[in-house]
Amino acid sequence: MNPTALIPALAVAIAATLAAPAATAQKVIRVWHTETQPNSQQAMKNIAARFEAKNPGVKVELEALAWTDLEGKIMASLAAGTPPELSHGQPITCTALQSKGLLLPLDDVVTALGEDNIFDQIKRVCRVGGKQYGLVHAAGTSLLIYRRDLVQKLGLKAPKTWADLIANAKALTQPGMYGITLPGDNLFINILLGELIASNGGTLFDKSNRPQVASKQMVETLEFLKQLTRYAPPGWEGHGYRETFTNLYGQKAAMMFQGYGRGASLIESNAPKDMANAEHFDVWVKPHGPSGRAPVAQVDEEPWMLFKGAKNTREAVEFLKFFYQKANYLEYIQTVPIHFFPITKSMRTDRDYQATPMIQRWKGWLDAQEYYLARDLGRPTLVIDWADMNTKPYLMEVLGSGILRDMVMDVLLENKSSKDATGRAQKRLEELLKSKGYLK
Amino acid sequence: MKPARAGALLVLPALLLLCALTLYPVGYGIWISFFNKHSFFPEQNFVGLANYVAVFGDEEFWRSLKLGLIYSLTTIALQLVLGVAAALLLNEAFAGRALVRAVAIFPYVIPTVVAVIVWKWLLNSQFGLVNHLLGAPVSWMGRDWIMVSLIIVSVWQFFPFVLLAVLARLQTIPPELYEAAKVDGAGAFYRFIHITLPQLASVLFVVVLLRSIWMFTKFDTPWLMIQGGGAETYIRTLPIYTYLRTFGYYEAGRGSAMAVLMFLMLVTAAALYFHFWRREEQL
Repeated sequence: MNPTALIPALAVAIAATLAAPAATAQKVIRVWHTETQPNSQQAMKNIAARFEAKNPGVKVELEALAWTDLEGKIMASLAAGTPPELSHGQPITCTALQSKGLLLPLDDVVTALGEDNIFDQIKRVCRVGGKQYGLVHAAGTSLLIYRRDLVQKLGLKAPKTWADLIANAKALTQPGMYGITLPGDNLFINILLGELIASNGGTLFDKSNRPQVASKQMVETLEFLKQLTRYAPPGWEGHGYRETFTNLYGQKAAMMFQGYGRGASLIESNAPKDMANAEHFDVWVKPHGPSGRAPVAQVDEEPWMLFKGAKNTREAVEFLKFFYQKANYLEYIQTVPIHFFPITKSMRTDRDYQATPMIQRWKGWLDAQEYYLARDLGRPTLVIDWADMNTKPYLMEVLGSGILRDMVMDVLLENKSSKDATGRAQKRLEELLKSKGYLK
Repeated sequence: MKPARAGALLVLPALLLLCALTLYPVGYGIWISFFNKHSFFPEQNFVGLANYVAVFGDEEFWRSLKLGLIYSLTTIALQLVLGVAAALLLNEAFAGRALVRAVAIFPYVIPTVVAVIVWKWLLNSQFGLVNHLLGAPVSWMGRDWIMVSLIIVSVWQFFPFVLLAVLARLQTIPPELYEAAKVDGAGAFYRFIHITLPQLASVLFVVVLLRSIWMFTKFDTPWLMIQGGGAETYIRTLPIYTYLRTFGYYEAGRGSAMAVLMFLMLVTAAALYFHFWRREEQL
């Protein structure tokens, strides 16, 4: 066959391929979310289907992404100039993106929900210049979970201070049972360190962005962790979040410092049947450090973000308004009812919401979360003061770098002195912030 | 149109594709290593060799290089020993040999993500089968053992490559050589040293070269080992640290500089390897 005869055929094939998308033009709202649990995914699909039925010509493309994949995917899409219309993200990611002018405000959605109807704590997330650039889909604080039956047996009390917690961990450590379990991966160590330093009256960065990791409060925090992890399973530093829950309901650990409401479902499905209830797994409000006065808990509260440069932002705003409508929002938060604390006061007091069977079974867990939220004791990861949300757009890089985790491991596992470890971390953080132009 | 010109036109798309997918990214990677560039935001400024200077002054870089060398050299040595031993065994005639040969390459054909997840279950410190069998609470994903765990998983996963290559060569060694050696009174050990090994030399040369490149740049296995738990600090090899710099610190320029250095290290090592091999052959 003469090869030249192939060239026109190839040209026709390429032209046909390029022309094909024009025939299927439709307004598409791309939505990336982090709720990979099957029932949450199904709820999102149901909401999207109802929205599409009400809005002919609009298609909602949902994509559930693992936490670890989300940030990279958002960034890559921005670099390529093809961001989705809507995405979940960490509060500090939202701040970083807003500071670069990459987000659009969601004030219309806030107005539709009723500004006074939204918890104040929620409105503080990614709010800049009076505009709401991120709107939390649901909030869930970290929880100190403990084995109530064992605690009652030993006559222990709720810890008020870190010293109390260490004493409880020591008392609960028995043959085959460790006093406490906590995860050692980078994200959770950053979460842990953020809430501990805040609970000890310290901070991570001052107003001029100078790292404050060599402070007295940090040294006390590291010392506390060193003491506490004596009662954790050997190799705790290699445990992931799910593994710590396995330790708890698998009866290898009596307390879990970094638990979340989502764990109630894990306990119900995996703990021995006679133990899979709040009578055996209860929560305490976390204790505070020697230099602090009140406990602070991290809030898992990813905001929805609306991306500038996306094609169908108006439709996306309408979709979000639809998402927060009572029937839809209720369906969504009922998929993980103990972790998805509603962002509106009306939903929190709603009869249908209150009647959710799991909420009745695990009421104490939700009350503990409300304790933090109502008293403004909840903070997003690495945010110590609310002003950090808008003045420290580099927290995303601090988290990603793993410098804080290295510092913790230097003290806890390498037996370095707090002075040496914090000094090294201080140097590395300064280098990072200087390279980004945040520190002179 | 002349057939030669038509041929060139037909080759052109492939050539453009090659340039676009290989040469351009490599060139761009080298180019941005001279910039202080955010990984995703459109911010960059020319810094010359500053990224390279910073890399050389970074203690984490040297630490990750050391960890990378420990990982790659150990796994290569163990893959060779295990692969050659298994190939010698599977070159012998025994009942069910075909089945055993098929099973032996199984680790190499399953997806890395599946292999790592299965191993992480097996090595779970509290509930894993390995600890149950050992009767000891070894923290396989913790500080002291995670490198050993990574080496075990990697050797298990990649030794079949050595096995396949060596077994293929073993099957082409003329049996007369062994028969003649036997007549001369050579035992099994001497036959291995004086016949098998020299015959395998060229294959082992290629195997060591390829496995060195692949293990030194291995990313997926160590990365998956630290997802959802795993003491990352203790297996932060050079590819992991390069990724961390690029997508954790969001420093594309610095990450690229590290990738370029990694490439130069490999090229230098390969050149030296070829040089000494050639000199050995001339002797």
